[in-house]
Amino acid sequence: MNRLKPVKARIQALKKQAHEVKTYTLTTENLPFSALPGQFNMVGFPGVGEAPISFSALVRENCFEHTIRSAGRVTAYLDGLKEGDELFIRGPYGKGWPLRQAEGKTVLLIAGGLGIAPLRPVIQGILEKRGLFDKVYLIYGAKNEKHMLFTDEFQTWEEEFPLFLALDEISNPDSGSPRMKVRDKRGWEYHIGLVTDMLDKVKIYPQRTIAFVCGPEIMMRFVCRGLLLMGIESSSLYVSLERRMKCGIAHCGHCQHYGLFVCKDGPVFSYKQVRGLPDGLL
Amino acid sequence: MTGEDIFRKFKKLIPKESFFSRLDSLAKKYRLFGPVNIKNQTAFREIHTSKELFMEYKSTMLSPGKLFIFRPKEELFRFHKNEGIKIEELPPVSEQQIIIGVHPCDTNAILYLDRTFMGIYKDPYYEARRKNTMIISLNCTNVSPNCFCSSVGSGPFLKAEKGYDMLLTDFGDRYLMEIKSKRAEELFNMKGKKAGKEEMEIKRDIENSVLEAFTKTIAVEGLDELFLRNMDHPVWQHTAEERCLSCSNCVLVCPTCFCYDLIDESSMDMKMTRRIRQLDACQDMRFAEVYGGNFRQRRAARLRQFVTHKLNQTVQYGVYGTVGCGRCITWCPTGIDLTEMAIEIRRSEKDM
Repeated sequence: MNRLKPVKARIQALKKQAHEVKTYTLTTENLPFSALPGQFNMVGFPGVGEAPISFSALVRENCFEHTIRSAGRVTAYLDGLKEGDELFIRGPYGKGWPLRQAEGKTVLLIAGGLGIAPLRPVIQGILEKRGLFDKVYLIYGAKNEKHMLFTDEFQTWEEEFPLFLALDEISNPDSGSPRMKVRDKRGWEYHIGLVTDMLDKVKIYPQRTIAFVCGPEIMMRFVCRGLLLMGIESSSLYVSLERRMKCGIAHCGHCQHYGLFVCKDGPVFSYKQVRGLPDGLL
Repeated sequence: MTGEDIFRKFKKLIPKESFFSRLDSLAKKYRLFGPVNIKNQTAFREIHTSKELFMEYKSTMLSPGKLFIFRPKEELFRFHKNEGIKIEELPPVSEQQIIIGVHPCDTNAILYLDRTFMGIYKDPYYEARRKNTMIISLNCTNVSPNCFCSSVGSGPFLKAEKGYDMLLTDFGDRYLMEIKSKRAEELFNMKGKKAGKEEMEIKRDIENSVLEAFTKTIAVEGLDELFLRNMDHPVWQHTAEERCLSCSNCVLVCPTCFCYDLIDESSMDMKMTRRIRQLDACQDMRFAEVYGGNFRQRRAARLRQFVTHKLNQTVQYGVYGTVGCGRCITWCPTGIDLTEMAIEIRRSEKDM
């Protein structure tokens, strides 16, 4: 079996999610895989290249989703595609979030920016089987309200667990005075400040809590250190790492993180496993 | 019965002449590769007669494993664009080949590449070539100044029992031939004096005299912990600033470096795209770059990645990434020596 061989996927639906971010609903003929939350595909196009992209929704009704920001060569090409167009995928690759381990525990989901996308399958999994989990909190921060993703799903989410939303800045403040809180037009209340500020809002028993953290590495560093101060074991903290990848199967070496292959041993690692490794910020 | 016992009866003393004429008789069915003398250098090349072989070579710039099994450049797919895109998968090569005279360092390097390309995920291109390649190893009696295989257990005499086909030891006008695979047993079923205890003692004596010729060593004990304690040691910064050119020579000549890049090349009319893989190097600035950042932006970080991948990071495969061949030292244009860097770190700890 040649794992480097991509398969065609068709864009069933395309949704502009936020500034430069779109969610691609994809389908392939004889869908060749089932995926786990936190796993990723190599997504690309011949002549352009491939990039590792996490699932933002797992396979349901023959479709799955990737939420992609137009950033580099590959994703800028994908950004130009329309509904009905084809692209190429291969996967799924990597180890995902240990959702089974979270059963019966308090679950802290903490996302920064696009980091909400790899956590969305976790959220959807929790919503489907809410009873399996104890308390659930979602803390989600973004640059400004234009960068908030999945805002139209917040309501469904909030019916099952509390959301704490943070913004670095307000993109269009309607008054000149600085405020600690703003509301957007849908009525969502945003805290102005860092994601770490919101850690004070959650009440947890550290021994019975598991945390899934995804965002820029510098954000994950401080969130994890905050969670350690709250008494959560580093082996109960999970982070998802981003690295350059070419193959996805622990061959090409690009994603090597001090002996670990992020594509095979991760991208989800326990904080214990990756804390303090060279060439990282954790 | 252990692996060694199975082939115990296949230890023979074979006159060199008859070994080479047997090789020549195989040239019709197999492509043969071996060490060839070109001016003052030796290189692994395809040969047509055993007369071309130079078996007394010291070292080569490129290792046979990364020339003939893991190819430096290889086309994997063609995408044909007419109405819609058709993927053509280029099949792995099934040609039968024999590599002759592979030193223990390079044999161990192939075993190391196996861990990458034939681990949980198998690379079909590598796997096909590996299976179709017979490896005739040659115990090394020609130590170069940069060799340190004796320190890392990968030479000068080969200890591995599996993963190659035959082991030769130079006994003057004869080879001590140790058969390690069924196919070698079939192809080299030759008459010769059965080697016993006496010959094994001679072999050990030769090995001991070769061991005395080493000038470069590295103390492996505690090496992992030494590096982990010294991730911010000044040696990385000053070697990177004063000498490292990020030229990637070390990576490209390294027999265990496996990193590759996938590259798409499209035809001028855009009707066809070839997906090619080729060697890549962690010393390249863009190697660990992602959107919005680069995990090894600093040259010191890239140098440290290479050196620690060879002498530390054993968490990856449970073995050191170096086979002690010394090529990265020989071919570094500014003479950076990873064993000296380890010594410098060790010395500074003693001084504290």
